[in-house]
Amino acid sequence: MSEDNFEYWRWREYHLIVPNVRLEKAKVITAGIDIGSVSSKAAIMVDGKIYSISVMRTGSSSPDSAKKVLENALEGTGIKLRDINYIVGTGYGRVNVPMANSTVTEIACHAKGANYIWGPTVRTILDVGGQDIKAIRCDERGKVLSFLMNDKCAAGTGRGMEVLADLLKIPIEEMGAASLKVDEEPDPVSCTCVAFARTEAISLLRRGWSKEKVLASYMRAMAIRMCNLLERVGCEKDLVITGGQSKNIGIVSRVEEITGFKTLPPPNWRENGRDPMAAGAIGAALFAKALFEKTANKA
Amino acid sequence: MKNSSDKKYSIEISQKEAEEIRNAIKAASLKVMDEYIERMKKSWPNRPEAMQYFYDIAKFFGTREREIQEAKEEGKKVIGYTCMLAPIELILAADAIPVRVSSGFYDPVKLGNRIVPVEVCPVVRSTIGVEMIGLSPYLKLSDALITPLTCDGMTKLSEILSDSKPVWTLYPPRLKDSEQSMFFWREELRTLKAKIEKLTRTKITAKKLKAAIEIMHKATRAFRRLQEIRKDAPVIMGRDAMLVNQTSMWDDIKRWTEKTEELCNELERRIREKVWACPPDTPRVMIAGSPAIWPDNWKLPNLVEEASPQGVIVADELCSGDRFLFDPVGVDEWTMDDMFKAVAERYLLPSTCPCFTSEDGNKDRVNWLTARIEERRVDGVIYHVFRGCMLYAMEYMRIKRVLDKINVPVYYLDTDYTREDVGQIKTRVEAFLEMLKSRVEF
Repeated sequence: MSEDNFEYWRWREYHLIVPNVRLEKAKVITAGIDIGSVSSKAAIMVDGKIYSISVMRTGSSSPDSAKKVLENALEGTGIKLRDINYIVGTGYGRVNVPMANSTVTEIACHAKGANYIWGPTVRTILDVGGQDIKAIRCDERGKVLSFLMNDKCAAGTGRGMEVLADLLKIPIEEMGAASLKVDEEPDPVSCTCVAFARTEAISLLRRGWSKEKVLASYMRAMAIRMCNLLERVGCEKDLVITGGQSKNIGIVSRVEEITGFKTLPPPNWRENGRDPMAAGAIGAALFAKALFEKTANKA
Repeated sequence: MKNSSDKKYSIEISQKEAEEIRNAIKAASLKVMDEYIERMKKSWPNRPEAMQYFYDIAKFFGTREREIQEAKEEGKKVIGYTCMLAPIELILAADAIPVRVSSGFYDPVKLGNRIVPVEVCPVVRSTIGVEMIGLSPYLKLSDALITPLTCDGMTKLSEILSDSKPVWTLYPPRLKDSEQSMFFWREELRTLKAKIEKLTRTKITAKKLKAAIEIMHKATRAFRRLQEIRKDAPVIMGRDAMLVNQTSMWDDIKRWTEKTEELCNELERRIREKVWACPPDTPRVMIAGSPAIWPDNWKLPNLVEEASPQGVIVADELCSGDRFLFDPVGVDEWTMDDMFKAVAERYLLPSTCPCFTSEDGNKDRVNWLTARIEERRVDGVIYHVFRGCMLYAMEYMRIKRVLDKINVPVYYLDTDYTREDVGQIKTRVEAFLEMLKSRVEF
């Protein structure tokens, strides 16, 4: 691929099977499917333990994205769709997940998922997705106590990162690190609007700013927006970040600096599947287990 | 009709343009009303027959419009009002027809935007737009309007509407609890009474005022009986109860009272027979804050009762709802003086509108809310605020603090007269309902 055609915004899709999960004695197999505005995530759980995770880009149709990401998650697992006892759909596309037995909002799922990923000490979750930001407070069981969402616009969300990656020709997964390569943190950009991100960045570049400085300035503004939300919801430790931007060190470090809270480090997710980006799908799969057991008890 | 040069705010809009826009919005509104009623029926399949009457009356551009039109042809006067501080007893005592005219239509907001900035509360912008094209039958048929100057929006709305109709302002004192306030308010109502008498050419005598108070006493009794029923496990969906409450603002109040009593008979039977409208463990929600006005601004009630997990609205604290007919006029002696005083008190003292303040910081509102939350066993409160509705927005912190203390979750939901945010609000509402439900499940 020539440099001109390189898609800098493309982040890596992946599929991961957690080794050492015994299928033979499985009692309950559940799945959670989280259809976000930018990425779709699926988690397969065996008796409440992660077995397989798949993260893909969301296509133009939610049902197709749901189908694709679930198929991807099942691949090579030996589990067939019909083996799954219960499926919960979540994310903005949750009502369009045809195979789901029921839906739960991404807010409850992220709380539940974060509780599973990091354990019972998690009290505040900052979920930064493709087009929205949520600040969630939860108890030691991962139950939502209160939450706040950003306004109707996508300002300061992950989608802006894709736009900038394309413009600055920096691969999206390297942007966070790049943004930290500045001698001095610049002032935040005045406007984090995704639609104006390009215009704003171009004007800064013309002013002679380096790419890194532009990124630092934009991410600072994003982090400030997130921290405002955190402050309003009432940040309490332990704080964790979920969603796609949990992988952006430029955002994570700035949120930590502004709030003064250290976030819990992302666990060794490449081995155990506890990927903060898939927290919604993991939470959904946990709800699926609870809902399946509830229905089974009733029957 | 005044010449355009005399108009303070209104802009020229040709009759042709007005007619075109009116027809388009009217056609769309008829569809919306049908759709919403169908959706309400769907969430409550085993509803009693007595509900049908209210669905019929809820349809603007229908039976009730014709009735009022005919009454007008026979010489009756119609007096509109923009806010529940307007004393309905005085209108009835002059044999006139009271109708509430604050608008719940979404589309006319665009027209209102031609006159006032988009930051202004959508009820005001929509009411302006509705008047520009003559959309609301009730506003159109009003011979005069009573416009209480409560918030900034309502104050200027009054001026803007005065371009096309006689407008009688009512100036409520923002401090309720003092002798001078009560004195001032009574004088305001005395002036209003004279204006009503002049328009209707009817003297409001003690006999007539007594009859009007008695009509409203009966209406209040029926109204309270319905709200009382909502204390129990749900035998009526919240949206339906809200619609019944709201139809009292344009229906013939005597007939409305009879029909509401009929509905209550049926609902009380259902309580005895334990015929619930939805599972008894459905999260019980209260809506507080800015009014939810039929037809278009049924957005939030629709979302709550169609959500997954479903909620049921067992109470609201809206001037378009549970507060409207809640308080009876308390008469000691049936003398003109006493009755008049009692009417004045009834409209000022129990009002929990955030336009009022006092040394204790509108404690009345806090008390009203906490009393309803307790008696209706409310699980959570959705605090509904329109963009530009400053007073409700500003009182949120005060209310939240009180609710936090009694461990009742509250969610602040800001919205506008638009359909575009339904998706986002849905996620927020559903997450809130999940939160209420998870207090018992998972």
